[in-house]
Amino acid sequence: MSQSATANGPARPSLVGRIGRTLLNFWGIALILVLWEALVVLNDFNVIVMPRPWAVFADIWANPGLYLQNFMQTAWVAMGGLVLGMIAGTTIAVLAWSSRILNGLLTPIGLIFSSIPVVAMIPVLARMLGYGTETVLAIVAILSFFPFFVFTGSGLKLLPAGSADLFSVFGAKKHQRLFHLALPSALPNWTVALRLASANAILGAMVAEFLMGTSGLGQMLHAASQAFNTERALGASVCATIGSVTLFVLVVSLEARVRERWT
Amino acid sequence: MTDRTAAPAIDFRGVTKSFRLPDGKTLTALTDTSLSVGKGEFVALLGPSGCGKSTLLRLVAGLEAPSSGAVAVEGRAPEELVKAHRLGIAFQEHALLPWLTVRQNIELPFRIAGRPVMRERVQGLINLVGLAGFEAARPKQLSGGMRQRVAIARSLVLEPEILLLDEPFGALDAVTRRQMNVELQRIWSESRISTLLVTHAVEEALFLADRVIVLSGRPGKVVRTLEVPFARPRHPDVMRTAQFHQLVDELTETLHPTDGAGH
Ligand SMILES: Nc1ncnc2c1ncn2[C@@H]1O[C@H](COP(=O)(O)OP(=O)(O)OP(=O)(O)O)[C@@H](O)[C@H]1O
Ligand SMILES: [Mg+2]
Repeated sequence: MSQSATANGPARPSLVGRIGRTLLNFWGIALILVLWEALVVLNDFNVIVMPRPWAVFADIWANPGLYLQNFMQTAWVAMGGLVLGMIAGTTIAVLAWSSRILNGLLTPIGLIFSSIPVVAMIPVLARMLGYGTETVLAIVAILSFFPFFVFTGSGLKLLPAGSADLFSVFGAKKHQRLFHLALPSALPNWTVALRLASANAILGAMVAEFLMGTSGLGQMLHAASQAFNTERALGASVCATIGSVTLFVLVVSLEARVRERWT
Repeated sequence: MTDRTAAPAIDFRGVTKSFRLPDGKTLTALTDTSLSVGKGEFVALLGPSGCGKSTLLRLVAGLEAPSSGAVAVEGRAPEELVKAHRLGIAFQEHALLPWLTVRQNIELPFRIAGRPVMRERVQGLINLVGLAGFEAARPKQLSGGMRQRVAIARSLVLEPEILLLDEPFGALDAVTRRQMNVELQRIWSESRISTLLVTHAVEEALFLADRVIVLSGRPGKVVRTLEVPFARPRHPDVMRTAQFHQLVDELTETLHPTDGAGH
């Protein structure tokens, strides 16, 4: 107890501090925006060909309600799909782990299912589920399923050296092996899946919305580009990017924490 | 102190163990091996690398089944002892779970056995192996010797009837190893569990064991059994006596016969 300092790692910077530092890393993007702005102004380009970054931000500033509503719609569907894919991918990986028969059945199905391009799935799913939020949700869930299924599946077998024999000698039952050994062993891999899936969740939701023209940022992008409203189209993309990057930064910090504790 | 009239703790009767290799050949690791460990006896197993020492231990732990012959532990099949959680084991690779603290690693056998954790017993063992103050540390924050001490504490926590140690100090430097031998002797003297220790080190075997069994090169076979004459409790000073040195030389000669051209 007196030496409890040995048990704690060095102090971590706060979450806010880390996000601030991450944003500082985006100075390169700020530079590009300034150069872009200068290029458009100096050459006097048509706004339909190339809008000014300033005009994009001005459009967001002028229509906060519209942007926020669409952003929330897309973010909600992306998160929901991510969680569904996570539950399905992790559960099926555990089922495949638990029995050889299920493994022989589920692994090929999972792989085939995951190798179909999303774009090809959209019309089929839209016909089954309708041109609505359910289909977008399903597409994000399918996109997220694959990394969780594959990475959790391999992580369940990445056991510390000798631990499988140890559990045999302990007389551990199957469920004890799962909860005390295999699942904790799989956690670092599982966070990798979370990182990969989050990077694609908002993008996937937007693509689906774009192709079906239902709602959210994707639909906004679609409508704006039909109307040659380039500022709005770019504004929708900026919102999506901000959402993606924020999610990514959160997940990466979680992954670092797990890695720190597990290795 | 050693009672060899009752059923022995471990009994090997003409055991042969062969492995089928991927290329179809068979490899015989142990051939026609008979040995026994009495109740409350500490037996050390010496032998050249690859002679089947670990295989022998794994047979006792029920991790392998003999190709022919019989293995009995407490007069029963090894699996029965495993099911009753009466077997303690420590491997060369400590097999600690990196995501658990020292205390949680030592408590793990209670959880697997479905018994309430005896906190005083866990704390007592932590003190016994000299890790007081490190209860909340994780394995990666410990030195190699400390990790092995955690593994030994874990092997003892359920008060096993049989203790199996597979080169628990094999990865340590000579000085730490000697220190660990002294500690293990002290720990063992408090419990007198029937113990089978596998080792490469002749001094370690002589200092710790009541009896030393030497196996031949592969396929392994008992070539020599030596009753260790030193009284218990043993002070580390016995390792400096002429008798100790003479026995070390004798056993080393049995292990690696020179061609008569001694010094
Ligand atoms: N599961 C297995 N499949 C095939 N061969 C095996 C298996 N386990 C052990 N062997 C072989 O059996 C022989 C004895 O192995 P074992 O691990 O028991 O040796 P050892 O005496 O413990 O050696 P060391 O002192 O180096 O640890 C080796 O040649 C090894 O390759
Ligand atoms: Mg070995």
